[in-house]
Amino acid sequence: MSTVAALVALAGVAIVVLAAVGLLRFGTPYARIHAAGKASPVAFIIVAIAASAELGWSGAAPLALAAIALLLTLPLAVHLLFRAVHASAPEFDPSIDEIPPPAE
Amino acid sequence: MIVALAYAGLAVAAAMSLYRLLVGPTLADRIIALDLALVCLMSAIALDAADRGDTTWLNLLVVIAIVGFTATVATSRFVERDADRRGVR
Repeated sequence: MSTVAALVALAGVAIVVLAAVGLLRFGTPYARIHAAGKASPVAFIIVAIAASAELGWSGAAPLALAAIALLLTLPLAVHLLFRAVHASAPEFDPSIDEIPPPAE
Repeated sequence: MIVALAYAGLAVAAAMSLYRLLVGPTLADRIIALDLALVCLMSAIALDAADRGDTTWLNLLVVIAIVGFTATVATSRFVERDADRRGVR
């Protein structure tokens, strides 16, 4: 693997490690989901860019497909997770809560 | 050398998210920890393909992304419906 591609991949891995540190250290579920869910698609895209530069078109096609799938699905999943935390754990509510209570 | 460092970083990140998967107080913590572990696995597969110049396993990445998304959506819908039924809020 060429040095430049390896360094770019290492940058992506550093973002994954930062996301994992946030997931490990933050205090509330909202903060943990925020740290882990928003950094991870970016990290995978950077690693995928490094790998595509190394592999050429035959490797770039599935990598781009996977990156697009992750980029489309992960924000949706994180949004649903936030809704689940909000519905199931009122003790973690932030001081400002603009979601209306469910209709009876 | 640099690639070995990247593998080690992925292993550390996966270990941290597996710790959160085992400990995490709420169910949502466990779900997002599993998601981050899957992203670590996907990055490791991409890195391995680039390292060895072998594109065989790259097709797995799309499958892992879609399956992980389906699991997250199903479980968070389940958590939300369960909270509604118990009348948490």
